[in-house]
Formats: sequence, C-alpha cells, structure tokens
Amino acid sequence: MSITIYPLASLSQIEKTPSREDGIPPELEEDLRAYGCKLIHEAGILLKQKQVAVATAQILFHRFWYVTSMKQFGIGDIGMGALYLASKLEECPIRMRELINVYDLLLQRASHTTGSTSSAQQYSDFKYVPMSYFGSTFYDLKDALVVAEMQILKRLGFNVHVVLPYGTLVNYLRVLGLTSREDVCTRAWGYLNDALQTPVYALYPVPTIVSAAIMLTTRHLGISLPSSPENRWWELFDAEWEDVWSVCGYIMRLYRERDAEDQKRLWGTAETLNARGRTAADI
Amino acid sequence: MSTSTPTTPTKKRSRWDAEDDDDEPPVQASSKRRAKSKQAKSETPPVQTPASTSTPPPVRPEPIRPTHSVYVPPRTLHPALTPSRSVYCYERLNAIEEGSYGVVFRARDKQTGEIVALKKLKLDEEKHGFPITALREINALMTCKHENVVNIREVVVGDTLTQVFIVMDFIEHDLKTLLTVMPSPFLQSEIKTLMLQLLSAVAHCHERWILHRDLKTSNLLMNNRGTIKVADFGLARRYGDPIGVGGLTQLVVTLWYRAPEILLGAITYSTAVDMWSVGCIFAELILKEPLFQAKGEIELLSMIFKLLGPPTAASWPNFQTLPLAKTITLPPQQPPQLRQKFPYLTSAGLDLLSRLLTYDPENRISATEALQHPYFNESPYPKHPDLFGSFPSAAAGEKRRKPFDSPSAPVRAADHKLLTDFDDV
Repeated sequence: MSITIYPLASLSQIEKTPSREDGIPPELEEDLRAYGCKLIHEAGILLKQKQVAVATAQILFHRFWYVTSMKQFGIGDIGMGALYLASKLEECPIRMRELINVYDLLLQRASHTTGSTSSAQQYSDFKYVPMSYFGSTFYDLKDALVVAEMQILKRLGFNVHVVLPYGTLVNYLRVLGLTSREDVCTRAWGYLNDALQTPVYALYPVPTIVSAAIMLTTRHLGISLPSSPENRWWELFDAEWEDVWSVCGYIMRLYRERDAEDQKRLWGTAETLNARGRTAADI
Repeated sequence: MSTSTPTTPTKKRSRWDAEDDDDEPPVQASSKRRAKSKQAKSETPPVQTPASTSTPPPVRPEPIRPTHSVYVPPRTLHPALTPSRSVYCYERLNAIEEGSYGVVFRARDKQTGEIVALKKLKLDEEKHGFPITALREINALMTCKHENVVNIREVVVGDTLTQVFIVMDFIEHDLKTLLTVMPSPFLQSEIKTLMLQLLSAVAHCHERWILHRDLKTSNLLMNNRGTIKVADFGLARRYGDPIGVGGLTQLVVTLWYRAPEILLGAITYSTAVDMWSVGCIFAELILKEPLFQAKGEIELLSMIFKLLGPPTAASWPNFQTLPLAKTITLPPQQPPQLRQKFPYLTSAGLDLLSRLLTYDPENRISATEALQHPYFNESPYPKHPDLFGSFPSAAAGEKRRKPFDSPSAPVRAADHKLLTDFDDV
C-alpha cells in the first residue's frame, strides 16, 4: 500500500475563507456549498456518471472555495467545471454538450422552483425549454465551463489528487466486525456521501471522516463500541475525538429543519450570485 | 488537541512504560494505538520513528513512538491548498528540446537560484478543455514521487490560461544521447545499477496503479551522479479494474519498445507492456543501440519473431484471441536467436532478458520480481552510483572536447571518463 498525501485547507484558510473576507455570511457560504454539491450530484445522476467522479468533483469544489471567493465565480459554473475535470481524472470523460445541457436543465428547474408558491406547483408544471443548438447560451456556458476548469486547476496548483473514503470505510467496518450488519454499512455509506455536501473532505483526513460516519451510525442504531478511556475505537483509526465530533456536527447540520422563508431567501441569493458569477467569469 | 480529552495521557504512558521494562523491544504494530500527548502533532513525523524506537532512550523518560499509523500521516503533513505560482518566478535560460506536445526549457528559480527544467504544455486548439493527457502526466508525476522518477516541483502558469508549465528538476543527460556519444558501452556492473534503478522506479509506478506506456532510453534521464530518472509521463495513465470507458488505446509506446500484445491490438493490456519496454532498454544498454529498429509494425513483429522464435500455443496461449492475430501469418517455427545476439551475457542475464521479452503478458516478469532476479546477485556486482563517470551535458549546452584529441595511453573506459571530467571544469 502506498501513502498518498492529499492537500487540505490550512488553518488560516479555514479561519477566514475568501468568501467571508468578501462579506458573504458564513451560513450563506455553507448553504451555497451544499447547494452546489447537490447540483453536481444531480447532474452526475442525469449523466449516469460514476459516483467516484461525482465525489471527486464535490471534493474539488469544496477545496476551491478555500482559495476563491464566491463573489468571483458562480457555484453553478465551478460545479460544472469540477464535474468535467473530475470525470477526466477518473478516466470517464463526459461530453461538454451533455454536461451543459444537464446544468441548464437543473438551473432552469431551480429558478422555476424558487419562483413558484406552492410545493405542488413546484414539480407539476415545470417545462424544460432546451437551448438552441447554435445559440449563444451554449457558447457562453461552454466558455464558462472551460474557464471554470482551468481556474480550479490553477487555483489548486494542479494538485487535484483526491482520496475517496469508501475503501477505508469497508476496512474499518471489518475491523469493528460490523460488516454483517447491512443497516450499519448502508447508513455509514450514506453519511459519507452526505458529507460530500459539507466541506469536511477539504478539512480533515479521510480516517477522521470515516470514523465520524461510523460514530453517527452506531449511535443512531444503538450499537456500543469500545469507548472506555483506555481503548477507544476511534483511536485505532488515528482520529481525534474533537475532529470526529466536529465532522459529525457538519454532517448533522445538513439535516436541520429549515423554515420555508429561510430556504427561499437562501435560494434567491443563490440565484443572484450564480448569475453574477457567470458575468464575472465571462469578462 | 486540548486538555479536555477524557483520557489522561499520563495513565497511558505509564502503561507503555511498563511494557518497555520487558527485554523485548516493542514491535511497531503494537504502537498503532497512540499516545495522546500534547506534543504528538509537533513531534517528528512517524516515518522516522522506527529507527528511533530501537535506540535506547538516553535522556527522555519515554522513547519516541509513532503516534500515527504510517498510513495516516498527521494533519500537519498534508500540504495546504496552494494556487499555482507565475512562470515569472523563473528566468528562462535555453531550450532543451521540442517534443510532440511541448517545449522543454532550462530555467533558473529567481528566488533560490536552482536550475530547473520547464516543460511548456501545448494547450491551444483544445476542444475539450484542459487536455486529459496533460492531466494524466501531472497526476502521474505527483503520484509517483521516487528517487528514480524525475521530480516534479510545481506547475506554474503564464499570463493567459493557455500557458501552463511543469517545473521539474533539471537532469543533465538522457540515456539515448549518452549511449550515442559514449565511446564504449556501459560495463555490466553499470548496467546492473541502471537496471535496478529503472526497475525500482517502474515497480513504484505500478504499485501506484500508473502505467508509463512510453519507456525508452530517450525518456530515461541520467545525472552526473550515476542516477537515472524516469521522465516524460505524457502517455502515462492510471489503470485499474475495470479499465474504464473505451478501454485502452493501442497508440502508445514508441514503436521499437512496443510490446507484441499492443501490436496485435489488445485493449486490456497492463503493466506487462512497460516490462517489455524495460527488456528492450536492457538489450539496448548492452548493445549500445536499440534492439528492434523497425520501420513499421509488421517489420517489428517479424524482427521479434526472428529473435525470439514465433509464438506457439505453449509460449502464448491467448495469442489467437487477440484482435489482429488472424491478420498475420506466422513464419515457420525456428529456434530463438537470443543467445547468438548476446554472446557475452551470462546465463542469468540472458534469463532475465528472456523473461522480460516473454510473449505471454501473463507470464512476463513483473518489476518487483525482476528486482529479485539472480542476475543482480552475481559477479560483477552492481556498481555504486557514485563511481559512475560524468559527461558533458548537451542539454545544458556544454560542449565535449573531442575525447581522442590528446595523445593518450590505450583508451579504456576509465580513462575516457577522466578526460571528460575535465571538460566540466
């Protein structure tokens, strides 16, 4: 086995992200990150892309916002660029045209959902209007995509090495003797995937994140693991309690209740930011 | 880490101290559970600790232990996210060569004064964003850091988005040029050292799931301290199971070094293609010229068949299943000519060569196996890299004085090296 060291955000990068320095509230940044990752995820499903490429894209996406402000680029463009780049990195390239169409659809649907009042209306009368084949929308989006990909590479110093957590989870569950419990495996796997919407993969090493997924799973399912001071299971995996706990916090925050008003405000901001980002990138 | 940690570190330490009283030194595996001490993070990285565990603790009450599994480096070892620097951090010196997809410059780091090689990537006319081949090259170089792989320092960018440069250590020679200018071939002891270095680099890449796919003498760089570095990962890619969309291309590896399964259209080739190339390089080091200097694929196949004898059902069971196997007619059976071609090679050396140039990719020797081959353990032993001679570097613009100008005693390899040493001054 080889030791591969992937980059993580430094303490100063975490303390003041470029977006926060630019006056974007931390909660908004957090929500935009999550939303951008959901878009990547949805696009991945529509494109029938492999999960490894989607996860890699989401991790690159999070890394990017530790070196760039969200006022400079839109989460839609960067998400698209990240997915395009990650697909190449994972040796399953996708076509620009297809990626652009899918993002166009997702963004149209998002603005439709934001504009409609009742939730029933949100899903019923959405009609996708395809862009014209040689229209300027396509070429604008294509330029934005090329710029986004290049900016991700450049701002991450071309160090786009990503380590995914899945193999580690399998190993750890084996060590803990939990592989026979299907509910444990599924749930922990799910936490790892949900965590992709949070910045943790750009903040903590993989063993810590996997330990957090196991921690949430076993606590939720009422399974006890050795936790007495002299043998605490997460220490076996070189994780710190505070870090594991912090990752758990990031993940659980995804599931918190939101009132409709709050949600709408955020989505509205997301839209404006996205539009602004696009023009900035075009210049 | 904070003091609020539930365990008291002292408790743990004392238990370990008790263990230390035993005569037997603690094995490394047992130290996976780590001491929770405040300094743990700032302590020496875990890689160094195995050595220090064996030394008796003179001053410290407790020996330094690895606080992490070697597979989980501490958080502090992870590099921060750092944007690319500008190419203007370097001062351009001279162009070294122009490859098919980029120019290589010699340059000086303005801050440190170090001499580096800058490889400019050709990015114009890209229809699919950043080229996947360049991505593979950068990734492979970053993943395969090794003593015998050319070191990538960083990737820098120019003013526009179409200017990207890979910054690598500058290495004086490439093996191809060296072989053509040196008056006598490498000694067996030198060949062994070079082969060991090459094999360990290739083993390292394969361990990291990287295929080089273009191993040849012109892609092996050599410094003046007898160390070779595998370079030019322009055709490298990650391989795995499954192979990925579209399989693997057959348009890889410079013709002379191309394995027979690629010539016959295999789309699921693997590490064995690199090993064939290594075999060709091994032969080239001995012969001082490329082994198969064919003009086309058909000629290459017939040269291979001539040297090794045509493949049989025994030597290559899957031969007939290859896409292009039906399209060629095998010459009548004839014995291999390997011994005649290499009359002075020991039988161990010939065995290694024939294992590298084995038809069946399944049976071809792997890099890790080749490193253990008896050839490297018989006399003459591999020469220490420091004992290699040095040569004037064409890439650095150094000119060689005509080596035979001065009246001299009978020319031997050693004398030649002495002579050329002066050229460097």
